[in-house]
Amino acid sequence: MNPLKLALRNLRREWRLPELRTLILALLLSVITLGAVGTLSTRVERAVLMSAAELIGGDMGVNAATPLPQAFTDQAHALGLHASALADFPSVAFANDRSQLLEVVAGDAAWPLRGKLVIANADGHESETHAPPAGKLYLDHRALVALDLHVGDRVQLGGRELRIAAQLQREPGASDLVSLAPRAVMALSDAQSAGLLGAGSRAHHRLLVAGDPAQVDAYRAWAKANLPSDADIVTPQQVQERLRVSFDRAGAFLRLSALLAALLAGVAIALSARRYAQRKVDEIALLRALGASRGFVFGGLVLTLAVPAVIAAAIGAAIAAVLAAAAFAFAHGLLPPSAQNVPLPLTPALAAAGVGLAVLAGFALPPLTRLASVPPVAVFRRIGLQPPRRFDTSYLLPVIVASGLIALESGTWKLAGVLAASLAGAAVFALAITAAMLWLIRRQLARLHPALRLGASALTRRRALSLIQTVAISLGLTALLMLAVIAPSLLDNWRRELPADTPNWFVVNVQDAQRASVLDSLRDLGATRLNDMPVAVGKLVSIDGVPVERVKFNSREARDTAQRQVRLSWSAALPPANRVIAGRWFPSHPQTAEVSVDRMWADTFDLHPGDTLSFLVGERHIDARLTSIREVDWSRFNVNFFVMLDPAHGGELPHDWIASFHLPHGNASALAAFSRAYPNLSLIDVDELLDRAREIVSQVTGAARWVLGFSLLAGALVLAAALTMSARERRHESALLRTLGARGAQLRLAAVCEFALLGAVSGFTALFGAASAGAWLAHSIFRISDFTPPWAPLFSAAIASAMIVAALGLAGTRSVLRASPLLILRRS
Amino acid sequence: MHDGSQNRIALLSAEKLGKHVDGPAGRLDILDDVSLEVNAGETVAVVGASGSGKTTLLGLLAGLDLPSRGSVRLEGQPLETLDEEARARLRLRNVGFVFQSFHLLPALTAEENVLLPLELGGAPDALARARAALRAVGLRERAAHYPHQLSGGEQQRVAIARAFVNSPRILFADEPTGNLDRRTGTAIGDLLFALNREHRTTLVLVTHDAELAARCARVHELVGGRLCETLT
Repeated sequence: MNPLKLALRNLRREWRLPELRTLILALLLSVITLGAVGTLSTRVERAVLMSAAELIGGDMGVNAATPLPQAFTDQAHALGLHASALADFPSVAFANDRSQLLEVVAGDAAWPLRGKLVIANADGHESETHAPPAGKLYLDHRALVALDLHVGDRVQLGGRELRIAAQLQREPGASDLVSLAPRAVMALSDAQSAGLLGAGSRAHHRLLVAGDPAQVDAYRAWAKANLPSDADIVTPQQVQERLRVSFDRAGAFLRLSALLAALLAGVAIALSARRYAQRKVDEIALLRALGASRGFVFGGLVLTLAVPAVIAAAIGAAIAAVLAAAAFAFAHGLLPPSAQNVPLPLTPALAAAGVGLAVLAGFALPPLTRLASVPPVAVFRRIGLQPPRRFDTSYLLPVIVASGLIALESGTWKLAGVLAASLAGAAVFALAITAAMLWLIRRQLARLHPALRLGASALTRRRALSLIQTVAISLGLTALLMLAVIAPSLLDNWRRELPADTPNWFVVNVQDAQRASVLDSLRDLGATRLNDMPVAVGKLVSIDGVPVERVKFNSREARDTAQRQVRLSWSAALPPANRVIAGRWFPSHPQTAEVSVDRMWADTFDLHPGDTLSFLVGERHIDARLTSIREVDWSRFNVNFFVMLDPAHGGELPHDWIASFHLPHGNASALAAFSRAYPNLSLIDVDELLDRAREIVSQVTGAARWVLGFSLLAGALVLAAALTMSARERRHESALLRTLGARGAQLRLAAVCEFALLGAVSGFTALFGAASAGAWLAHSIFRISDFTPPWAPLFSAAIASAMIVAALGLAGTRSVLRASPLLILRRS
Repeated sequence: MHDGSQNRIALLSAEKLGKHVDGPAGRLDILDDVSLEVNAGETVAVVGASGSGKTTLLGLLAGLDLPSRGSVRLEGQPLETLDEEARARLRLRNVGFVFQSFHLLPALTAEENVLLPLELGGAPDALARARAALRAVGLRERAAHYPHQLSGGEQQRVAIARAFVNSPRILFADEPTGNLDRRTGTAIGDLLFALNREHRTTLVLVTHDAELAARCARVHELVGGRLCETLT
């Protein structure tokens, strides 16, 4: 006979065993969670990456803070390439007494060179086109709805009246994965003539080229040699790389949530496998007594688990793919249009099946290995499963599998280390609280109600099992409470902390000559907390005399930041919400130029007071000594800058102004008039940006909650596994109690008390875990000074979880309570 | 009543066997200086009170456990020189068991339980032999039943069928009637000895049932871990 035959025969009946079912369910759950998250992330990532060339709108682009010199266009034409110029910027549009912040793309008649710009006319008929002619624009559906407009109506943008020529359906260059604001496309000439593209505006300029690849390469070489200081070259490969980086970060959270579910499922698998092994001791002893070799016995055991496991993993992978497909269909509106037809990748679901099987092997093999070593003489006496030797190498297996899984899902060993430490910390925290509560219960046992005493003593008697159950359920619950209760509360607190008159509008691109009249006009409109700062746009060119291209940065982020343009400002006094944490603020008339940077900037570039930074602003070169590092509270919505110069030297640079102010809503007409009076200014509605951000946060947390629901389910499986593990003992206890005259109701009450206590301990552990994590986040990340955890919802959630665990526990022990005591005693 | 032929080849011999365990109260001697010879075809019973070491002795004789001192030879092979895998192979070829608590695999049917030793040994006509063995114990019609669907007596009959199905040279029986009522126990005893005669198997029986022991050719008594008396 081969071991497979024995395994199949065993399975015919054993598949009904609760521990095997729990084990297979746990495997199924981990494969579904890892597979669904993996498939969805991969598909979205591929979709986004595939559209990278289209996102640029050409074969290559040159980005700049100011319009590129004509020579760039001429060179492209000289090489036989098509060229197109465009700019994008945020701006507020007005119509029908309403205002709406838009993401505007201003393109010339040739744009786009690659990808499709699709519009729909008033009848809904779609066609491909290029940027509109002067005097016209395209608005997307969201913008039309927000402003209550239709195709053919007129809208005021950047101080000009433009006619809506069509509804914007799709456009290349929607570079954000998730579009923050409604979008508009207008003619580049209109934006130029309205003065919307000044040096201080928030416009990004781009020249695109497309054509023969060899000529594109030649153009790239020429552009690189002639690149202005504030410009950089963009290729589809670079965009892909950047998207990949930002996508990795977004996906990491979901993958880690799935990981939590998989690890908890691993605990359930370990418990179930142990129970299974205990059940099989007599059988294995018999097989060994009958002459079966250890290899045969072990092979049979492994195959008994492997056969249903492989089937479950395949089913799990299929369910994961279906779930991911459904989630993709639900989320595809958030993706670039061209990214919506990416086929469903099958590798992540299959990989998840493999990982699930590895989890099963890692957590189930140690008890099975020990089972195969049961001595044949055990056939004469019940010896049970021997406790492990002091150091049993097989128990390293789950640790290795868990570490590998953490590393695999988190992508980097560093993050894996942090995550493993955090998980271990949370587990130790839960363990300590649970141990303390169990200790307290034991101390107070004598004073408890008899039913409660029976239940509580059951908990303290099976101490190790109680600890494992509560830690697992607590971890799942903590994660869920964090997302469901703490995260929204943090956001609300953060918003509440902002004073009512926090600036809610920015106006950019204010020229020196207009400054006084713009400020007066805003005051006349009733704007409060009016604050303006000069702004110059430049580029960091060297640090301590070493050109930034040759500085060895620690991170890709530092290298990227160094390539980008930097906005500089200056002020005699330290701006509000700024604090000097190293060095000193500028004296009134420093001899040489001085610079102050935000702590994040200092950390990114590893800067220290005394370093010399050189900037190129327009044609001007400025060397400044770093004299202070500031801590900036970015949550305050004041105008703030990473880099500030002393006013004596900064004032000599070419600059314009940016102003922030507070204006209550309902002033759209007045702002429209203001915008008409100063057509070159761009108005930015901060409230609108915040609302959009909140919308995205709620979408992301919605998805994460869904994944964390799996973690909780895995926690429930741990409970189920623990229940089956203690089932024999419970059955015997309850049979004895019944024999001694205990009524069914008494036993049920004791069971309810036991599980309600277990649920309460897990619920309250999760409550304190989530509240402490929330307080830490509030203090360290959101900088909320007096964050009070939302105790009422937290307590409700803890009580609800106690009730749910009690109900689950009672349901799990129902058969034990129902069975005849005689039957049970005879069987046991 | 005596049973079995008396040819003088020692199939099983134990010499100065001792077994002790270390407990919280110090060393506990379970068996001390036990020597025994069993010839092929012989039937031997070991009787004694509970805790006298009968089952331990059976385990050592069958090679399920190793003695603390002394030696056991089965088919001339000193068991203590073999590792567990080699002892398992030896058992598979030569040894059958009947246990007090039947020890049937709950996930297998009666027929599959009987098939088990044949299939472990790779016997070619396993199914036919298993069915014949079940027929011999009167349970052919219960072949597809699982252990929990059988009475105690029926379970022990399946166990006896399993024990004889590969015609072992020696059969070890540990309190085979201990879990059964008197009437069923007598029937099981009859069946065990009938099959033993038929298969000409050597039988080592451990029991505290004097009537059952008396059906063997030789009876040894274990008292306090020593084979102190031999009744023939």
